[in-house]
Amino acid sequence: MNSFNLILKPILTRIGSMPVAILLLVLLAVASVIGTVLQQNQDQADYLHQFGPVWYWTFRALGLFDMYHTWWFMSILGLLMFSLTACLIRNVPRFLQEMRNRKGTISDNARKHVVQQFDVQFNDKNKAIAAVKDSLPGWKWMETQVGERLWLRGDKGRLHKWGYILVHTAMLVILIGGSMSVQFGFRGNMAVPEGKSGNEISFLKGTSIDYLKMPFDVRCDDFTINFFATGAPSEFRSTLTILEDGKEIVTTDIIVNEPFYYKGVRIYQASFGDGGSEVTLKLHRLNKEGNVDIAHSRIYTTFEDPYSDVSLEFQDFRPYNVENMAGSGEPKDFKDMGPSVDFVIRGSGLKPVLIRSFMNPFMMDDENQGSWLQMSTTGDARDFKTFSLGLDFSEPQEWALFQAFMQRLPSNEKASQEENLNAFRAALDEVYPEGRPDDLPMLGNRVIRALQELPNAPWPFIPVLEDFNQTYYTGLQLAKDPGMDVVWIGSALLVFGLCIMFYVAHRKVWVQVIDKEGGVVCLEVTGLSNRNPIAFELEFEELEQQIKKTYDQGATT
Amino acid sequence: MSTIATAFSSSGPLFQGRFAHLRCWAYLGMMLGMSAMAIFAGDGYVEDNYIFQLFSLEGVKWMAAGAVVGLAYGFTVSPTKFRAYRFSEILVPWLDGVVLLVALMGVYTLFEPSQAMISYEDQSNLVSGRIVMAMNVLLLFSAICYVANLFAPEGFMGNLGTATAWAGVYAGGSALLLRWYESYLLMDEAIGHAPVSNLYEVFILLFCVICVIYLTLESRHQAHAMGAFVLPIVACGVFFSIWLESIGQNDIKPLVPALQSYWMKIHVPLNFVGYGAFAVACAAGMAWLTRDALERRRPQAKMLSIFPSLKQLDHLAYKSVAIGFPAFTLATILGAAWAAEAWGGYWSWDPKETWALIVWLVYGAYLHARFSRGLHGKTLAWWTVIGFFVTIFCFVGVNMYLSGLHSYGQLT
Repeated sequence: MNSFNLILKPILTRIGSMPVAILLLVLLAVASVIGTVLQQNQDQADYLHQFGPVWYWTFRALGLFDMYHTWWFMSILGLLMFSLTACLIRNVPRFLQEMRNRKGTISDNARKHVVQQFDVQFNDKNKAIAAVKDSLPGWKWMETQVGERLWLRGDKGRLHKWGYILVHTAMLVILIGGSMSVQFGFRGNMAVPEGKSGNEISFLKGTSIDYLKMPFDVRCDDFTINFFATGAPSEFRSTLTILEDGKEIVTTDIIVNEPFYYKGVRIYQASFGDGGSEVTLKLHRLNKEGNVDIAHSRIYTTFEDPYSDVSLEFQDFRPYNVENMAGSGEPKDFKDMGPSVDFVIRGSGLKPVLIRSFMNPFMMDDENQGSWLQMSTTGDARDFKTFSLGLDFSEPQEWALFQAFMQRLPSNEKASQEENLNAFRAALDEVYPEGRPDDLPMLGNRVIRALQELPNAPWPFIPVLEDFNQTYYTGLQLAKDPGMDVVWIGSALLVFGLCIMFYVAHRKVWVQVIDKEGGVVCLEVTGLSNRNPIAFELEFEELEQQIKKTYDQGATT
Repeated sequence: MSTIATAFSSSGPLFQGRFAHLRCWAYLGMMLGMSAMAIFAGDGYVEDNYIFQLFSLEGVKWMAAGAVVGLAYGFTVSPTKFRAYRFSEILVPWLDGVVLLVALMGVYTLFEPSQAMISYEDQSNLVSGRIVMAMNVLLLFSAICYVANLFAPEGFMGNLGTATAWAGVYAGGSALLLRWYESYLLMDEAIGHAPVSNLYEVFILLFCVICVIYLTLESRHQAHAMGAFVLPIVACGVFFSIWLESIGQNDIKPLVPALQSYWMKIHVPLNFVGYGAFAVACAAGMAWLTRDALERRRPQAKMLSIFPSLKQLDHLAYKSVAIGFPAFTLATILGAAWAAEAWGGYWSWDPKETWALIVWLVYGAYLHARFSRGLHGKTLAWWTVIGFFVTIFCFVGVNMYLSGLHSYGQLT
């Protein structure tokens, strides 16, 4: 006991003191500001690029890129817990003591400083006392006899001090719950393609990625996206089956905001992406023969062209491309541009570029403007520029027409318009033997555009998306949080405590019963409130009338 | 003018005694009926059209039954008890206000253009936009009145300011309700949602909350001069909101999947009770600092006669924090509960969460400084002012400058 007093008590007092607590709170606030200004858990290369080597390594050493999990940030929280505990140990006994000790009397000197007071006279002592008690129902009364004098003390809202105790305990409980979550919980991501299953989550640990096996498998049976008429997604829905040792346990749907709970693990819909869709492209060779090859591939794989050294690295597939077709200032006009595939095209002597190839031709005012693609030389989707290919490649005859026309086109530069036109007519006769197509004027335009555009292409072929078999992957988040319920208990205590603290006033009333001659009594009433003095003033003013009224009506007790 | 002011400050025989008491219990009974319908009625609570169910014949039956139950309870309370009607007298003006808001909204719907005239692409002919504009004008006018009141304390400007501020609150609140209704008129009811989903909508909510908190304090503490600090804050917000409208941020848009949750209806408004109360605390702090400076430099100033005393202002600032702090705490906790349901964890150190924590720490420290250290006066006045700047950053700044999970608050 002695050693406790000598060693531990000063430490407890010091660490549980207000300045230390304030210091810890300020440190926590400042660290939090840094954590929000400096984006957390980004790519390390980006940080290096952003700050330069000196600052990068300084920040990295301080752990600022994953600040909320560094030892020093945890220490602040730990010290805060310690400080709260010390504060509670120091103050709770005192508070309880104060709550128990109710002084039955108030000295004349103290009464002088109290604003709320009045004196009333009654004829019948017992009736008067009963009237006082009746006027304040629900108050806790205590009678003290000092010599000949009777004192009454009434209390309302005595649990006020419990507010402080509850709030500080609640903070401690929340912090304990939080540390339980960190210690014994996990949270990570799992990408499951449709029809496949997975059982390993990945999560960031410091600056590297770590993996954890789940005690069950999750199979994604289906993933669907529903859309609003504006083209904005309205719902992401995954149909999942939980498997244990290969046995199907349960099948369920999850959407955002409605996770599934299984064996202590919550499974959330977090993201989605392409799960390796099959795509078929037609490669239109830009050679004399103009032959067309088929390229079968999957997203996330690379297609090597057997006839050249060009390769297509497939990155993404989208079944819809909803775009606002209206100019700025006009009413919005959403239109689906149809399916597209993204790939990087590489080859010796070629600058690698990202291409987004669309399956459908570009329609403007119901007129076919031919196939098109978007190209980004930086590899960034934001830098996409749109290029027209002229021909409608979804129509095989148009490519044939183009080839036939190219072969008939007079080779000399100075060929007359008449000769060119004849060549086009001959080509048309060959490709469309049953008669001219309906949109002949537009077809002519497309062929002329193709004549201008296609020879500029740096690649040996024009790749155009022909067919697809789409698969999504669903991005799940799996989390186990054993501290969560503790945090909720703490939160409930916190709100409850705050309400007591702010809205329950501890109101006290002292009544000194002074016996006068002839059985007449004078009641000296004094009131005090530790909160909301203005409301108490009103209440106290009404109290005098109420006591008289109750006395006149005859108190019941 | 003073009769209007009296009506707005909810005093007089209508708001006292047995009549107020019975009315209050009838309202509460109706609310009970609404909840009972959500739980027990055939269709139960349907996330999106519950509001419309209430106005159907079935809803009216449930509410009427509830009102009868409420009235019956109201009659059982003995009128001789000390302060028997206190609870009702406090509550009834609020419930009256809600009824008035709903009634106003009902009236506006009569002026709504026909279905053929309404399109998602061009929402300019919806009525709510015009009501919001009226609210903007009223609040700006009220701000001018309150400031003028400082320089002509004997005039009627103070009462005019109070009346227009109340009118602004009713315009704003009913416009928001109307916007809720209008969201169901677009796109065949597919995108209907509560009007707390983007910056423009929550700004209107914020104005209403600030004004209601302030006006309530004003009527209880005769703090007219404080309006000259509250309403200019609101006026700044009004200009910001007009700017938002000018860049086309006022359209009703479909909700992203992450926001499609009943939590949105609870978490967002409660947060704005917090923000609004902190704004009023800031105004009280500014009023304190102004009065303090005036007393020292120009003790003869006429203005001082209408200013609440320094002690009162200090108390008003504390009162506002006492309203805001528990509300903000609860809002943050409910936000954590939502996050646990939508994002996979109750706390992710997302910038918005972190800034909410900072705001909470700032006002928590304010309360400690006040009660544990016994600080009063100048330090605390500055504290409320600076605390409000932190709050503003948490509210708008985080959305505009920092990215994170709360990104739907961003400008698009």
